[in-house]
Amino acid sequence: MPLRQSFHHITRAGRWVFSKPKNEVCSRNFSNSIPVLNSALRRSSLFDAEKEKQRQAVGRIEKIEVDVVSDFGNELLIMNKDLSTPYDCTKHISKFVGQTAVVALVDSNQPWDMHRPLSEACSLQFLKTTDKNPWIPNNVFWRSCSFMLGAVVTEAFRDDISVILHSFPSPNIQSGSFVLDAYIGLESWIPAPEELRQLSKEMIKLSERELPFERLSVTQEVAEEMFSDNPYKINHISKIFGNHNEVVIYRVGNHVDISRGPMMSHTGLIGRCTIASTHYLKEDQLYRFQGVALPKGHKLNHYAYGILEKRAMLLNSHMIPSEASLSYEPTPEYATEAKEVSN
Amino acid sequence: MRLNKPTPLRPLIHYAELSKLVSRLKIPVHWHVKKLRRGDVPGPEGRLLKLRASVTALFKYERIEMDYYPADEARGYAERLISEAVRNGPQCPETMEMADWWLEEKQLVHKLFKVLVPRYQNYPTSYTNFYRAPFWYFSDGFQPQLNEEYPDKEINETIPAFRTVSYPKGLLELKGNPYPPIFPSKVTNPRSIQNVLLSSAKDFYKSKEGGSERLSNAESGRGIEFVPNEPKSDENLIESSK
Amino acid sequence: MAFYVSRLSLGLELRRLGCKTMRCSGVDCRSSSSTSTTLAPRSLADDGKTDKLGRREKKNLMMSESVDKPDLNLRFKYPEMFPEPFMIWRNPVKEKLERKDMLARRNCISIPEFYVGSVLRVNLSNIHQPDKVSSFVGICIERKETGLRASITLRNVIDNLGVEIKLELYDPRLLKIEVLRLERRLDPHLRYLRDAPPEYSTFPLDMKPDINRSDEVPLNRIKVKLNPRPWTENWHKIEYKGIDESIDDLITNKWKARRELLRKPWEKYDLMKTYRATLPEEEMEEILTEIKDDVEEHDRKHSRRQS
Repeated sequence: MPLRQSFHHITRAGRWVFSKPKNEVCSRNFSNSIPVLNSALRRSSLFDAEKEKQRQAVGRIEKIEVDVVSDFGNELLIMNKDLSTPYDCTKHISKFVGQTAVVALVDSNQPWDMHRPLSEACSLQFLKTTDKNPWIPNNVFWRSCSFMLGAVVTEAFRDDISVILHSFPSPNIQSGSFVLDAYIGLESWIPAPEELRQLSKEMIKLSERELPFERLSVTQEVAEEMFSDNPYKINHISKIFGNHNEVVIYRVGNHVDISRGPMMSHTGLIGRCTIASTHYLKEDQLYRFQGVALPKGHKLNHYAYGILEKRAMLLNSHMIPSEASLSYEPTPEYATEAKEVSN
Repeated sequence: MRLNKPTPLRPLIHYAELSKLVSRLKIPVHWHVKKLRRGDVPGPEGRLLKLRASVTALFKYERIEMDYYPADEARGYAERLISEAVRNGPQCPETMEMADWWLEEKQLVHKLFKVLVPRYQNYPTSYTNFYRAPFWYFSDGFQPQLNEEYPDKEINETIPAFRTVSYPKGLLELKGNPYPPIFPSKVTNPRSIQNVLLSSAKDFYKSKEGGSERLSNAESGRGIEFVPNEPKSDENLIESSK
Repeated sequence: MAFYVSRLSLGLELRRLGCKTMRCSGVDCRSSSSTSTTLAPRSLADDGKTDKLGRREKKNLMMSESVDKPDLNLRFKYPEMFPEPFMIWRNPVKEKLERKDMLARRNCISIPEFYVGSVLRVNLSNIHQPDKVSSFVGICIERKETGLRASITLRNVIDNLGVEIKLELYDPRLLKIEVLRLERRLDPHLRYLRDAPPEYSTFPLDMKPDINRSDEVPLNRIKVKLNPRPWTENWHKIEYKGIDESIDDLITNKWKARRELLRKPWEKYDLMKTYRATLPEEEMEEILTEIKDDVEEHDRKHSRRQS
């Protein structure tokens, strides 16, 4: 089972020994992890079923013209409607482009996931974090980091501790950290440095597996069935359906979560990652996990990175749930993207 | 103990060949001439024929990857050829003869005088770039390539001469080639993610809120107290920002 | 007592002057200035003025436009000023100091323009002579070495005996060098005169100087007929332009066959070999710029003295 394999990587180093036994939160004994596994696998299998259903719904395969724009000239490709993704387009160009592209840009104004099927003829551009103006790929990267943190947090804790993911706010790189809010069934828990380091390691391990971010937009019923064990998500879904027809969900490995997207191409695009700290939000009774990461290939010396880590330790007050109303209203920059989702 | 290289024989000339005029090369010219692996033809003639193949390939493809030391030797000859062509032009019979001998494909002689000479006319730097290339590539599975004549790996390992050795590789390219650059430009991008993070951190710590931030040992759990610098006085700011 | 600065004493000299001896590794360190100590030419594209394809406007970094480029033909007149391009022994500081010393010597005596094949009279100081001067006339068959150890070999046949004297041009015991016949020959040296009839090497010791009216140095295209073997050197191996074709009659067929095997038709295409054996033009220009004013002044001074 894929989940088990990743845990074997953790246990190979041997058992962790913490100074304070009651802070032993990181999961090591995996025979008890079946409930968590079950829940994740259930969502994942529902995701698979929905994905297959949508694939079958395509019917007759039509062709669309995709014009790939790059610095070295344009390339016209004939791709399959509702089946071919921008990643498939990179297979006609080069492996390097497919591996390094963070997100695609359709018709020069709409960010598009690399593994999201294209539905009409368009012009396509591949964006990287090393571009001249990397605003879109940077935010995509930041959002994906929060998502991956969710994947890590759900699996990291012992099974007698309940972990219910709340949400993660829209990416704000200026705040200095990417953020995830979750309910952890622990009272006044302050993570030990080893535990935070272990979480960072998990992120890196997830990155090494180079799992793609799969996207699906589903109906309310399917979404509610998937997240039936998560009251926060049910609440979100109903709020989303106040404004839109469908919910956009993403999957990485076995972890499925709601996000408007877009997400980066695959988890391997993370280079350095540090989960810096956890803060307890009293009003929401949530733990706010904060971290900082750099994309692969971005070099930064250890002192400067240390400054970023230290800043990420401080409470990131961007969109604390109780203060901001989590209404799923898109910010103006994503207005065009949100329009597409609602169509 | 590393033995010094033997001093090469001093050439039997009385003094520099003053009658010949050459342009200075802008690449490091090694005094020790590297011996190359023996080809069909032995001796210095065979060496030149091997180098001729490399130089022809370089002019044809404008970026080639080969063994490091032969590439280093070929680089000198390529630079010399271009230097002679830039200096004398196609009218000079000696230069034309040289180009004709060195470039096995005759279309490359045309390329030299019509394309490369105008390109390199005013170059103050060398005409080629030379880098160290990886010994082998990840796509080969972290293994050096087997000898093609003996694809069976066992045989390769038993016969020392045909063992799967990896020799250092070099990447030789003509400057101004149409391919994407090997190394990305080193221009710092203020919008790249690390710069965005750093500049926002700087702004944060300069602000009142940041200046008063202190990390207590217990909360962070890391035992490090970070004390940011106090923001400097106004006199160091430029006029416009006051 | 040698006036020239040996490599060892140079080191002492430099230490006395307080500067370190600069050593070049086996890498070409021909750099833009002769006192530069960099081991490899510095990239000139570091000031950020290259465009993305590496192109730049060519700037004459070594000489400004106002200064005239020196006449490169002067290099034949002062060949010992140019160092041997043997990279391992090159030392820019040593070369600069040597040139300084050479110019200082040239200020004292006139070292005229001559070539291999010219007939010279040389006056040496000799304590054992009644007038303290010993004189020798001969044809210059060789010009060797560079710098302060530049030497010439003069050959003459005196009393049916071939006599050769090797002299250093910058030897302080040299009192006078007079060119009796200024001409060039087809070969870089005339050592084959040792195996030629004495007529080719005989010059009267009281020879009067030939007056050369033309501006150009005449080229003597004489082809020497050698004596039968044995020879001091294998003259047949190298294609000497100054040796007559009749040399073929003097060698066996076996030797002729060997000679064919020794031919290296690829050598003229060996661009790097010729590069390593020559000084680049830029360097010659630098050296000439350094010396030309001084040598012009010396020439004027010595010609005034003569007239």
